[in-house]
Amino acid sequence: MNTIVRKQMSIHPDVMDLLNNQIAMEMKASASYLAMASWCDQRELLNSKAFFYKQAEEEREHAMKIFEFINDNGGAAISPNVNGVNNDFESLLSIFELGLEQEISVTQSIYKIFKAARKNDDFITEVFLQWFINEQSEEEDAFRSIIDIFNLMEGMPLKMIDERIPTE
Amino acid sequence: MKNTIETTSDSYHIEYLRFCKYVLHTPTKAIQLSFPQMLELRRKINAKTTYKSLNAIVNNENFVLLFVADKQHLLFLEIPQLIKLKEEIAVFFETPDFILA
Ligand SMILES: [Fe+2]
Ligand SMILES: [Fe+2]
Repeated sequence: MNTIVRKQMSIHPDVMDLLNNQIAMEMKASASYLAMASWCDQRELLNSKAFFYKQAEEEREHAMKIFEFINDNGGAAISPNVNGVNNDFESLLSIFELGLEQEISVTQSIYKIFKAARKNDDFITEVFLQWFINEQSEEEDAFRSIIDIFNLMEGMPLKMIDERIPTE
Repeated sequence: MKNTIETTSDSYHIEYLRFCKYVLHTPTKAIQLSFPQMLELRRKINAKTTYKSLNAIVNNENFVLLFVADKQHLLFLEIPQLIKLKEEIAVFFETPDFILA
């Protein structure tokens, strides 16, 4: 980055582009969890519904964290298009499996930005992203633990499985 | 249109005046830009010059109209000009100090 641009912004422009993509990904994740929450809500799966409403909120918070970070550092945060949200699911288990896949792709995406920040000597973003890396490890763990419950309680009524789902 | 200064330059280039004051010289006018306006121009140009987007332009009207400087100016760009402006912006944002010096 040259001095002229550096005086205006403290993060690297290429890294900023990736962070803007990440905002879109978090907002998409939020919308996706909202669809999952609705599916559960309609079927009276109370704990699962609470879990996914909470997830939807958290993903929006992640998006906002990045949004403010970009603007605070002199960049331009972009409010993303969110489309192609799936509202059609097969089962509660498949929803949690989709959730885990979504979390893994978010983790991979964060790693990609982290690497780009490193490559471009953008240490501010690198440090900022450390929180997200810890967060993703917790998120993946939460989904894996829930999928384990399904495996342990195989054959039990869905309602009983739902009662074992943590609500946050 | 506001902030339009005639220029004899026949190409696109970006001039640095001072902190948060830049000038985009086009063949017909010079447009003053703030840094947020530069970032927005960069975003638009990058979006218009993806492989997919360039293909769509070539297969349709073969030019793009681009609002700049918070919609105070409208640029008419054919593909070569679009590419030139993209390069100019890339140089502005990416060129390290040791090359500019
Ligand atoms: Fe997230
Ligand atoms: Fe998440």
